Amino acid sequence: MVDKIQIKNLSCYYNKKCVLESLTINVVKNEILSVIGPANSGKTTFLRTLNRMSDLEVSFKRTGDVFLNEENIFYMNMEFLRKRVSMLFAMPIPLPMSIYNNIIYAPKRLGLVNKKSDMDILVEQSLKDASLWNDVKDRLHTSAMKMSGGQQQRLCIARILAIDPEVILFDEPCSGLDPISTAKVEESMLELKRKYTILLVTNNVKQASRVSDRTAFFLMGKLIEVDKTEKLFISPKEKQTEDYITGRFG
Amino acid sequence: MRKSLDYIIETIIFICGMLSIIFVVLIFSFLLKEGLSFFKDFSFIKFITNQFWYPNSKIPSFGILPLICGSVLVTLGACLIAVPIGVMTALFISEIAPKGVRDILKSLVELMAAIPSVVIGFVGMVTIVPVVKNIFNLPTGLSAFSGSIMLGFMAVPTIVTISEDAIRSVPGQYKEGALALGATKWQTLRRIVLKAAMPGIIAAIMLGIGRVIGETMAVMMITGNAAHVPHSIFDPIRTMTSTIAAEMGETVRGGMHYKSLFAIGLVLFLITFIVNFIADLFLGKNKNL
Amino acid sequence: MIKLNPKLSQKLSYTLLFMATMLAIIPVLVIIFFIVKNGASSISWEFLTSMPRNGMRAGGILPAIVGTFSIVVCAIIITLPIGVCAAIYLNEYAKDNLLTRIIKLAIVNLAGVPSVVYGLFGLGIFVMFLKLGVSIIAGALTLSIMELPVIITTAKGALNSVPQSFREASLSLGVTRWQTIRYVVLPNALPGILTGAILSIARISGETAPILFTVAVFYVPNLPNSIFDQVMTLPYHLYIVSTQIPNMPKNVIYGTTLVLMMMVLTMSFVAIFGRAYFRKHRKW
Repeated sequence: MVDKIQIKNLSCYYNKKCVLESLTINVVKNEILSVIGPANSGKTTFLRTLNRMSDLEVSFKRTGDVFLNEENIFYMNMEFLRKRVSMLFAMPIPLPMSIYNNIIYAPKRLGLVNKKSDMDILVEQSLKDASLWNDVKDRLHTSAMKMSGGQQQRLCIARILAIDPEVILFDEPCSGLDPISTAKVEESMLELKRKYTILLVTNNVKQASRVSDRTAFFLMGKLIEVDKTEKLFISPKEKQTEDYITGRFG
Repeated sequence: MRKSLDYIIETIIFICGMLSIIFVVLIFSFLLKEGLSFFKDFSFIKFITNQFWYPNSKIPSFGILPLICGSVLVTLGACLIAVPIGVMTALFISEIAPKGVRDILKSLVELMAAIPSVVIGFVGMVTIVPVVKNIFNLPTGLSAFSGSIMLGFMAVPTIVTISEDAIRSVPGQYKEGALALGATKWQTLRRIVLKAAMPGIIAAIMLGIGRVIGETMAVMMITGNAAHVPHSIFDPIRTMTSTIAAEMGETVRGGMHYKSLFAIGLVLFLITFIVNFIADLFLGKNKNL
Repeated sequence: MIKLNPKLSQKLSYTLLFMATMLAIIPVLVIIFFIVKNGASSISWEFLTSMPRNGMRAGGILPAIVGTFSIVVCAIIITLPIGVCAAIYLNEYAKDNLLTRIIKLAIVNLAGVPSVVYGLFGLGIFVMFLKLGVSIIAGALTLSIMELPVIITTAKGALNSVPQSFREASLSLGVTRWQTIRYVVLPNALPGILTGAILSIARISGETAPILFTVAVFYVPNLPNSIFDQVMTLPYHLYIVSTQIPNMPKNVIYGTTLVLMMMVLTMSFVAIFGRAYFRKHRKW
């Protein structure tokens, strides 16, 4: 087992209010690590810090270190980091352009592809990997805004696959989706972990138990417990964890 | 590569962002430079208190009191017209008019702002001026009164647009609360909405005043251009702006007269600066509602 | 004091407000109607395309139209890129600090400076100090500074209407901030920026005071050859023919007024309808 990401003593603040307190945790290569916990437990902040999206907000401050392949991400070029650690948001956010251009947008800007033929191949491959190809292969040049919510979210996954990251961060990716679309997204995640390391933040405890290898429980900005998923769900060490997963609060 | 191009562009963008400050400072320092060199030869106190504007006589006198009086008189007159019409129109458009016609009404009001002031000046000259002359039996209709009417209508769009924004940004709960207590819609508007929107309305009025003080062409064409302290609103008057516009062409570049017009420009700049600053303060207040 | 029944007082007040609204709207319609009615007969192909003759009492207004056109085009070429960049700075880069507050205050004040003061400034800095003389470029520079706050404000609004989530989505893929602005934000803000630009063009074509001492002349016998020439302009021409020349034939004055007004109003309408159209057909 190789550690893909090591988080050491990470604390995060918004307007000097502590939202994440001295967090130390590691993420293993090619695993799915779920992060569960009630609202305001710091899950999303944690995720957004891993690819430094939270640095976009002025009121955000942090201490501690995060290593990606033993390289400190806070000393890395920010764009290069986000290419390697990409993120899927809670709501699907297709860019207001065609399906084809949505996929090719980032690879083009990052200089990953130049030739038209390479682009076509990349678009097809990414859409296939996100199991969207059959739905949209006849309308690649229509607006992505006209797709259904589930399709949009899979398009966003395809868009991430097109830049070939190492880690994918899922921020409650199914909160706006119906059960069938949710199942499809979960299916893709299981598919994807062969190639990528995945972090999944979710409000849905069942989802965590279905897809993840390990699960971490956050409460009020603190990591309470992290363990193999089946272990954490069957015999949690902490009382708070047990209360949460059995639905006594949150 | 990608980074260095970004860096160059972002530097350019930053400089463009700074340009507004640079221009304000540049305008102010230019006016100040010419103005101060004028005040070396003609005292500032005399400049604003002397009653006589005779820039071309043998012993020139540069008193802008009549010009200040002219500007103030026209501005007051215009406000008497523009403020009630503007605020009432804003209330009507934002709260009473049916939703479908709101945008049309607003566009029609704003149409006035699109018409060039020289056109308004010309129309005023051939319509209002003779009418004023006949009704009030005056030697000339070119007067502060005619000017006030035209300028009043020119200030209406400014007041309507900004007041309307202020009125619309009053939270719905305020209104619902009052209506739930049994007040009629009009009582709610008058006592609650108008009061809550007041900072925005004051800002709108200030900006309207700013527009009137700075107005040049229409005022020059309608108010008669007589540089003496007016006794009544039916006198011909001359404003600071129209003095600059009318006389700059005849001055010797760099001479006393030339510099005196920059000094008037400086006074105008400071007045509008203060007016806009106050408006901005009130607008800021409105946002914290 | 008589206490009115609330229902009645509401009715009365509404009528009053309605009348005020009519007072705000009718004058402008009267002005337009008045000018169209009096000016329509003097508009002809000859009036639009020939030089003035006989001390401007006959012939056409071609040099004034060309003059206004050249000044406005130069001004917008200068002011649009600067204004859009400034808007990008304020909307995309600026942090909420003292510097930003000063910039915003500066913009508010630029917008409030009287147009004739811009004329003075243009005379002082462009005509005299930079020795550009009374010329198209001096006038265009003056107008472009005057129009800068308007362009910045409308462009900033257009940029701000592009959802924040688009920026996040783009940044999260490793795309740089400038690329995000260039390829996602700007294309979607473009309709708003352009309608703002058209409104600005409309406004500056009607401005007189800033060009009085920087570019406009009473009469030139030929069309401009370069940006260092003096020109006649429509608004200044109207001022001259309506106030400075005795016994001016009415048709020349009304014709000039109508041409100027239609030019400005047409552009304003295009901008207003364009804005409404783009709002309706927005992609998000």
